Amino acid sequence: MKLTRGAALVIGLVVAVYGTLLLYPLLRVFEDSFREFIPGRVGADANSPLTLTNYTDLLHEAYLSYLWDTFRIGFIVAFLGVLLAFPIAHFVARRRSDWLRRATIGLLITLMFLSVLVRVYAIELSFGPTGFARDIAPLFGEQIGSRFYIEFMIVLGLLHYSVPMSVLVLVGTIQNVNPRLIEAAQALGAARWKSHLVVTLPLSGRGLLSAFLLSFTLSISAFVVPMILGRGKISFVSNLIYNRFSELANFPSGSAVAVVMLVISLLAIYAVSLLASSRWEGAVR
Amino acid sequence: MKRAADNVLSVMVLCLSIATIAFLVTPLLIATVMSFDARQFLGQFPPPSLSLQWYVGFFSDAYYLKGLQVSLMLALAATTLSTLVGVAAAFTLDRYDFPGKEPLSAFFLSPLVVPHVIIGFSLLLFFSTIGVFSGPIPLIGGHLIITVPYVIRTTLASLVGIRKSLTEAALSLGATERRAFWKVTVPLSKTGIAAGAVFAFAYSIDDVSVALFLTGPNFYTLPVAMTNMMLNEFDLRIAAAAVCLMVLTIALIWVLDCIVGLDKVIGQGVYHK
Repeated sequence: MKLTRGAALVIGLVVAVYGTLLLYPLLRVFEDSFREFIPGRVGADANSPLTLTNYTDLLHEAYLSYLWDTFRIGFIVAFLGVLLAFPIAHFVARRRSDWLRRATIGLLITLMFLSVLVRVYAIELSFGPTGFARDIAPLFGEQIGSRFYIEFMIVLGLLHYSVPMSVLVLVGTIQNVNPRLIEAAQALGAARWKSHLVVTLPLSGRGLLSAFLLSFTLSISAFVVPMILGRGKISFVSNLIYNRFSELANFPSGSAVAVVMLVISLLAIYAVSLLASSRWEGAVR
Repeated sequence: MKRAADNVLSVMVLCLSIATIAFLVTPLLIATVMSFDARQFLGQFPPPSLSLQWYVGFFSDAYYLKGLQVSLMLALAATTLSTLVGVAAAFTLDRYDFPGKEPLSAFFLSPLVVPHVIIGFSLLLFFSTIGVFSGPIPLIGGHLIITVPYVIRTTLASLVGIRKSLTEAALSLGATERRAFWKVTVPLSKTGIAAGAVFAFAYSIDDVSVALFLTGPNFYTLPVAMTNMMLNEFDLRIAAAAVCLMVLTIALIWVLDCIVGLDKVIGQGVYHK
C-alpha cells in the first residue's frame, strides 16, 4: 500500500525518536572526539580547536595493552564458547521433541536472559577467594590474586553468556544438516567420530563461524564482567570509556575511545551479516 | 577397534557436555545456597546453617529499596513507551511501501549492534548539552532506545506470518481497511507484541551499562546499586538480590513460554517432521 499522510507522520515520529536518542548523540561523540580537552567541562566546548591528539594518544603503549587484552580474551572466549557449545547443540538438534530437549532449551534461554550481575556475582562467589579459588588456583600454579587467575575469572564470566548463545545459534545450523549424510558415511564404513569430523563439521561451518563472531563481538564490548571480575587489574576498552568519564571527566578522550570501539564492533557485525547473506556461499565454494 | 574408539570418544564428548552444563548451573546454585547463609560474614561455601537474614537485610535497606522502586517504575515506563513506538513502527513498515524502506528498517534495528556503553556515554553527552543532568528522563530515553528494536523485531516477525489472504478475505466480506486492520491484523500479531514487551521489560530491568552513565547519587536503579555494592563491599545481601533477579528472570521466561513457546523460538529444522 502507498504511504498515507497518517503513516508518514508515524514514521516521521519514530525517526525523530531515533534521531534524538541515537543518531544525534552519536554524532556528538564523533564531533567531541576531535575537540581539545578542557578540564572541568561535560562535553567539549563548541569553539575549542579541532585536533587529532585524542586519537594519537591512543597509540600509546598503555592503551594498546587495553586493546590487546580485550581482543585476546575475546578471542579465547569465542573459541572456547563454540568448542564447548557444539556437543550440546548437537545433542539438542538431534533429539525429537521430548522433555529433555525442551528442558535443555528452556535452561539455555533462561541462562541467556539472566542478568549479567547475577552471573558475575555467582562466579565471584564460586571461583573467588570465598569459593573454590584455593582449590583451583594451584592447578595452574598461580596465586588467587594473580593476573592470570583474574583473566581466568573474566573468561569464565564471559563464557557464561557465550556458551548458551552459541548453543542456540548452532542448534539451528545442525538441525539443517541432513542426518542421512552421516548415516551414509557410517554405512560406508566411516567411524562415528570421523563421519562427524568430515560431514557435520564442514556442513555447519557457517553456523560455527557466525557463533564465533557473535561471541567475539559481545565479548569485546563486555563492560560489567571485566569491571567487576577484573578488579582494576584487567580492563577492557569499554571500561576505559567509563573511567574517562567517572575518574578523569575527559570527555573528548572518552569519545575517541568510543568511536574506535564502535568502528570495530560494526566491522565484526558486518562480517556476521555477510555470513548470513547468500553472498557468502559463493565465497566459500 | 573402531567401535571401542568410537565409544570412548562418545563418552568423552558426553562428559564434556555435562561438565559445561554443570559449569553454567553450579555457580547459580552456590549463590542461591549462600544467600541463605546464617553467618554474619562472607565465609567459605557451604554455609553451616541457614537463615533468611540477608533477605531481611536486602528488603529493609533504604539504598536497595529505592533502587528497586526506581527500576520497577523505569521498566514499566520504558516497556510501555517502547511497545507503543515499536508497534507503530512495525505496523507501518509492514503495511506500506515507500522508497528507502529497507535502509529505514535497518536503521530501526541498529541500536542492537551499538555497544551499550557507547549508547550510555553518548546519551550522557547529549543530555548534559541540553541541561538535563539527572532524574528519570535520561534513563527512560536510554532504556527506550535499547529496548525498541526488540519490540520492532518480534512484532515484524509475527506480522510476516499473517497471511495476506486473511486480510483480503475480510475485505471481500465487506470490512473496511480500518476494520480489517483492527479485527484481523492486530489480534493475530498479539503474540509478537507481547513477546516484544517481555523482552523490553527484561532488558530494562537488567541494564547496567546504560544506566551507570545516566544515574546520580540520588537517582539510581537496582542494578547500579548492586554494581556499586559489588565494587565496594562484597556482602551477601547482593546474593539475596541476585536470587530475586533470578526468580524474576525465570518468571519472565515462563511467561514467554506461555506466549510463544520456547521451541518455536529456535524451530525444529527441516529434517525433523
